[in-house]
Amino acid sequence: MKVFLKLGWFFKLQWREYTIGIVMLIFVALLQLVPPKIIGYTIDEIGTGTLTKSSLLKWISIIALVALCMYVLRYYWRKMIFGSSNLLAKIMREKLFRHFTKLGTSFYQQRRIGDLMAHATNDVSAVQQTAGGGVLTLFDSITTGGFVLIAMAFTIDWRLTLIALIPMPLMAFSTSYYGKLIHQRFRDAQAAFSDLNDKTQESISGVKVIKSFGYQQEDIEDFTKLSKDVVDKNIRVARIDSLFDPTISLVIAISYFLTLAFGAKFIVEDAMSIGDLVAFTAYLGLLVWPMLAIGMLFNIVERGHASYERIEQILNEPIGMEDRADALTHVPSGDLSFHINSFTFPGDATPSLRQVHFELKEGQTLGIVGKTGAGKSAILKLLLRQFDGFDGSIILGGHTIEAYEKNKLRQAIGYVPQDHFLFSTTVYQNIAFAQVDAATEEVEQAAKVAHIHEDILRFSNGYETVVGERGVALSGGQKQRISIARALMMQPNVLILDDSLSAVDAKTEEAILESLKMARDKATTIITSHRLSAIQHAHIILFMENGTVVEKGTHEELMELQGRYYEMYQLQQLEQLVEQGGGTQ
Amino acid sequence: MTNLTISRQEQATVLKRLIGYIRPHKKALAIAISILLLSVVGEVLSPIIIKTFIDNHVMKMSFETSAMVTLAISFMFLEIVNVICRYFQHLHFNMIALRVVQQIRVDVYEKVQHLGMRYFDRVPAGATVSRVTNDTEAIKDLFINVFIAIVQAIFLITGVFIAMFLLNAKLAVFVLFILPAVVYVVYLYRKKSAVIYMAMREKLSELNAKLSENLSGMSIIQMFRQEKRMNTEFDDINEQHFAAMMNNTKLNSLLLRPIIDLIYFATIVILLSFFGITSFTTAVEVGVVYAFVSYINRFFEPINQMMEQLAFLQQAVVAGKRVFDVLDEEDMEPAQQEKPYEITAGKIEFKDVTFSYDGQTDVLKNISFTVNPGETVALVGHTGSGKSSIINLLMRFYEFERGDIRIDGHSIKSYPQQQLRHKVGLVLQDPFLFYGTIASNIRLFGRSTEQEIKEAAEFVRADFIQELPNQFEQHVTERGSTYSSGQRQLIAFARTMARQPKILVLDEATASIDTETEVAIQESLERMRKGRTTIAIAHRLSTIQDAEQILVLHHGEIVERGNHQELLAKKGLYHKMYLLQNSIVE
Repeated sequence: MKVFLKLGWFFKLQWREYTIGIVMLIFVALLQLVPPKIIGYTIDEIGTGTLTKSSLLKWISIIALVALCMYVLRYYWRKMIFGSSNLLAKIMREKLFRHFTKLGTSFYQQRRIGDLMAHATNDVSAVQQTAGGGVLTLFDSITTGGFVLIAMAFTIDWRLTLIALIPMPLMAFSTSYYGKLIHQRFRDAQAAFSDLNDKTQESISGVKVIKSFGYQQEDIEDFTKLSKDVVDKNIRVARIDSLFDPTISLVIAISYFLTLAFGAKFIVEDAMSIGDLVAFTAYLGLLVWPMLAIGMLFNIVERGHASYERIEQILNEPIGMEDRADALTHVPSGDLSFHINSFTFPGDATPSLRQVHFELKEGQTLGIVGKTGAGKSAILKLLLRQFDGFDGSIILGGHTIEAYEKNKLRQAIGYVPQDHFLFSTTVYQNIAFAQVDAATEEVEQAAKVAHIHEDILRFSNGYETVVGERGVALSGGQKQRISIARALMMQPNVLILDDSLSAVDAKTEEAILESLKMARDKATTIITSHRLSAIQHAHIILFMENGTVVEKGTHEELMELQGRYYEMYQLQQLEQLVEQGGGTQ
Repeated sequence: MTNLTISRQEQATVLKRLIGYIRPHKKALAIAISILLLSVVGEVLSPIIIKTFIDNHVMKMSFETSAMVTLAISFMFLEIVNVICRYFQHLHFNMIALRVVQQIRVDVYEKVQHLGMRYFDRVPAGATVSRVTNDTEAIKDLFINVFIAIVQAIFLITGVFIAMFLLNAKLAVFVLFILPAVVYVVYLYRKKSAVIYMAMREKLSELNAKLSENLSGMSIIQMFRQEKRMNTEFDDINEQHFAAMMNNTKLNSLLLRPIIDLIYFATIVILLSFFGITSFTTAVEVGVVYAFVSYINRFFEPINQMMEQLAFLQQAVVAGKRVFDVLDEEDMEPAQQEKPYEITAGKIEFKDVTFSYDGQTDVLKNISFTVNPGETVALVGHTGSGKSSIINLLMRFYEFERGDIRIDGHSIKSYPQQQLRHKVGLVLQDPFLFYGTIASNIRLFGRSTEQEIKEAAEFVRADFIQELPNQFEQHVTERGSTYSSGQRQLIAFARTMARQPKILVLDEATASIDTETEVAIQESLERMRKGRTTIAIAHRLSTIQDAEQILVLHHGEIVERGNHQELLAKKGLYHKMYLLQNSIVE
């Protein structure tokens, strides 16, 4: 029940809706008591022959009126209580999303998106259930159960009430016992299903192996066996599940039996009328629901509690780097001075960067080359302030990057990531991502610089073509070029291309680099690449190996050196030849 | 989550097809329905006993012991029979539903196993898995919750009406008038919920898609400082989903239990009026009134249950449609003519083979070569040069139309599938291990004895197995992630060699393998090739220097052929690749 306390803020927020809803609920519980009594009176009057036209009219009008009132009240309390729970779901999703947008890279590195999705869907809906169905069952079972008992005991006969209640604990006891039994069996059934799921997953991923050995038939048999196990385990669940209804019926039947037997006795003794007996049996029927509801309530609350805690955990996740109190509020621009003695990613044992030093004048281009894991991306990540806690200093425009507001630093940097992520919206919106209201000419200009304009015009709807699953399937190179255009739209002081030309052919690469130079002759550019052709014209080239700079200089200087850069250059020339099928006439 | 709405006509077709699956369970269904009938009889009779009790005894104040005992015993007997029947009836219907779903499941799986590689290229594995497991699970809910509830409701309602007719035909006719009202409410709810409930589901899947996309692209959003805009966009969908949820809540409040209760009270009013008016002229037996009231109570219970399940009907039908889409899939694996040929020598001939995956661009152009029994042919070339396509055709993963591939003089299309699969052994580039043990991975579904498995492992020099604590019984987790890539490769070798194939098709691993196992792998590859016709894709030229023939592919054509020495002497593409791989800078 602690979860109700934790949800206190929400109940406070929606106190009016909940109060109205619960009051209506109580009225419904009270009104429910009327029809059985009326039926009882009518039967009594029929039995004794005292029913008159006016009394009949009175009775049926009361029932009709009560029924209508109940319908209206039921509609509104549902709207109040379930409506509030819908609102809670909305608020929780909003809160989660707000927080998600604030969490930093290190958070996303630790958590799987599937898990985060589960919190925003399953956990939210479990909490929603608590605030809706949970609140309902709590109040409904107490009020309905209480009122019915009171009506039975005080308006009919308290002795009969006690007698009729004798078998009831059996219902509570047996259903909770079945609940325990079914829990384990249900888990087994779930496990069997998950085995089947794993098996299917594995076989479909390994379909080539199975086909190449010609084992389809055997594999189908294996699957059949597992799916039969799922059926068997589910039948075990059904064996218990099928007990619930009959048991409840049996208990009620016993209760009826006792009621009728003793009721008849009381009638004979003139302690009650036949109409009372009919009303009493109707009340008995009303007691079933509260009995079952109590059991359900615990289930709902338990689940809601666990889910709420998981959501809280995410909401309590610290939001990474915050701005300093005296943070600079201008967009940084100017020379870049990068001096890192050592940097280790959180959780890693060995440093990813050691002694990386360079100075880049505003407007210059820096090229970083090296194998995967040599430290190219680590340099960029520090520059983008995705990670703090390095030994050294990064100074941009005369101040360390930590001195700026994060927002302003980001405004200065246009980043084209390695994994070219595009949103499933139009090409136009993807390019204009940072400036939704950008003019068409601007977007087209950026696309032209990135050499994707011509491609876009060939799409079915041009710039309005939707990207991704529901739209056009783009090649890796096209995605990369759209990503470049997207970054260019920001007109950043520093443009970072993180191996973002890997999927375009050599000719296009050259053309893009050429137009970048033209369009951004005053701005700084940093390019990392496997391919030397992408950084050949840079003012400074860093050759990275094992997290440190092994060679530094211009293309000409490094070629002169005849070291690692030179070697790589020669090999890549050869590779290019092979790719083109070179040599054979 | 793709399209959630399907046309009315399609819905009907899907439902009909789903119900068709019950046919093999006719007998079980007959039993379940008989039990259901019995329980309905019990349910209908017990109010009559109470009626007799009230009218003949309570009202007349006559309580002779023997009559009382008879009534008490028959009441409890009926209730107990009823309870027992209800238990078995519920269980039986569940069992039928579970078996029906199992049949559907096995059918889809069987179909999937016989689909061609084209299908798997086109449809992501996750979607196919979902068809086999999750969608069939949704169908299970349909059978258990909706079908059973409907069948039970129909029988119970019929039984209750028969009893009411027997008690008082005139009143029963009056009560019959409420049926159209109930049917209309069900129809109305079904019609409205089809729209409103589905709209809610669609908004939810939109919301989830948005969330998932934003989570994946969070670094871009942050980098480009679009958090605020994304928040607004998310809020917008969240708001729409909330509105859809509210509509659904309102619909359920208007048309579910509250309205059924309203109809219930209307019936009670009819009942009381009837008896009341009758009582003005003739005497009315109070017991009959009681019996009618309790019949009405019983009548509405199954209707309420059924209504609550109706919203799920649509979902199950959509799932059913997706499952049937797979069952109706036409991209089957290539068919074999199943002529009684046997592969004995293992001579392979490619004759002028041209092939295209999409029917537009040819990835293989006029490929012709011959591999004599026992010889090795190596395929080299850049990514996309067509090496893998040659193997895909030889393994019959894809059908081809132009040219022919022959083994021992017969087209590979004419062999029985089993013959091809047993005599042609493929070792894949990325060795796929299954959950189980090393032995089970070598054996797979074959009949190799323990001795044969050991020999195969020894043959391929998979000596590391001997050093494992449980040796051949050592556990293999999903995809074999606890083993190094080299070890996985060796297990895959043993798997192929345990079958003693005549022809070996090797797709060499591109991934770098630890140097320790590298030596073992090279050794075992050599041993494997000995005496077998081999077609090998080689990424490392060093491994194929002793091949009888090397085919150099470029853009789907064989541009150079010859042995290692000959090709080097040509100073062509092969020569350049050789230099590149040995990092020799000229």
